Amino acid sequence: MRVGMAPFVELTEIGIRLGGKEIFAGMNARLERGVSYALIGKSGVGKSTLLNLIAGYLTPGSGSLTVGGEPVNGPRRGTAFLQQELGLFPWQTVAEAVGMPLRLAGGVTDKKEIANKTAGLLAELGLEGVAGSYPAQLSGGQRQRAALARTLIGEPDFLLMDEPTSSLDAVTKESIQLLVQEQQRKRGATLLFVTHDIEEAVLLGDVIFLLEAGGGLSSRKTADFEGGTAREDIRFYESCIELRQWMNAL
Amino acid sequence: MKKMRRFVGAQVFGFISFLLLWQLICLALDIRVIPTPAETIKQMLAEPRELVLHAGASVLRVMAAIAVSLAIAVPAGLLLGGNKWFRTLVSPFVYFIYPIPKVAFLPVFMLLFGLGNVSKIILMIWIIMFQIMLSVRDGVDSIPGLYFQVMKGFRASSWQTYRYLVLPAVLPHMFTGLRISIGISLASLFFAENYATTYGIGYYILSAWTKMNYPEMFGGILTLGLVGLLLFKGLDALQRKCTPWTAKGR
Repeated sequence: MRVGMAPFVELTEIGIRLGGKEIFAGMNARLERGVSYALIGKSGVGKSTLLNLIAGYLTPGSGSLTVGGEPVNGPRRGTAFLQQELGLFPWQTVAEAVGMPLRLAGGVTDKKEIANKTAGLLAELGLEGVAGSYPAQLSGGQRQRAALARTLIGEPDFLLMDEPTSSLDAVTKESIQLLVQEQQRKRGATLLFVTHDIEEAVLLGDVIFLLEAGGGLSSRKTADFEGGTAREDIRFYESCIELRQWMNAL
Repeated sequence: MKKMRRFVGAQVFGFISFLLLWQLICLALDIRVIPTPAETIKQMLAEPRELVLHAGASVLRVMAAIAVSLAIAVPAGLLLGGNKWFRTLVSPFVYFIYPIPKVAFLPVFMLLFGLGNVSKIILMIWIIMFQIMLSVRDGVDSIPGLYFQVMKGFRASSWQTYRYLVLPAVLPHMFTGLRISIGISLASLFFAENYATTYGIGYYILSAWTKMNYPEMFGGILTLGLVGLLLFKGLDALQRKCTPWTAKGR
């Protein structure tokens, strides 16, 4: 993480009320470019609300929020949000779904260009065999990959993910985690993801944010953990234990 | 090919079973009012041109009514589903008119538009339009909010949101509405064609009845059934083409 540079994302004294309930008051956070952030916290503290705020789907009641130096006034070009429920449309094949963002905000009209870009990304994510399939015909892992491909096609510099692997079995979960990590590193994108999974937080996060009720945010770099952060490292689980202890101590 | 052969086989089997049942009823009742299938088919083949002209006139009226109904009801249904102001304004009128048997409006249409084709087609438009409009509105209502959020995230314009989200989402609902209303409109057409009609299958059936030519009357009824069958099969084929992601489409 580079220190001293202007932050990529900056939340200053953010406050928001939803349905008459105060979710955050005076929340402050800074995210650096190219870093992966895991956002953890108890259910109902506002993790998804924070993602929706940063994505531009919600407007804060007070404070300021900037991404890439620009104030956020709605969805931003370059920010891509992978929702927990994925939001794949039942009537779009995988290729149609992945190509769609290029036609929309991407402004690409050349069908051949769209087809080439889509085919390239589908091959990269191991989806070339199901390009013509509808979501109902896919496995959970394939659906997750398709949604991830749709998120990545616009080459975003900022990825937001709400529990990207929560509905998957253990084997598929691991392959998706590795895919997310590989794509984030390859693209140098900033990643902020919500998870309830301690191992996922240690594996994918460079920094762990612990969100508390009211918007209190504590952070810790995974590099500072005594154990390792790669799953093949025997001391990986020591880091997980350390994270648990840190959470419980706060 | 095998699937096709099985499909044709099932259709032929169904038709033969129907004729056998009909024959059994004739034998059991043994009255002149119900002719045998053989007598009926013989009568139909005796003057096929006449029958085709009558059936053709009815089909043309139905097709014209469907085309005009779709042109009015789909945009109206989209507006009802997507525009609160329009819904508030129009819903009371729709709910007031919807339960009234539309055939009750035939005298009004005849007084307004004369005894010719126009009043008959307008009656059918009046029947089909409401069903499709409400089906399309329900289709818009059933789109998950997440899908709209996905489109917002890709910074889609209003037109793009209609093109990629709303229109495909309402298509299966539109077909359901069309399927329900075609049956009702055929029944109403039979009634309407009794007034000032030269050609029309409804007229053909009732004319045969007044002449006490029962094989001709049954020939007309059988033709009306075949017209309905063709319309429904055509609709099924169109739905398979337009909505390949649905169970009906697959």
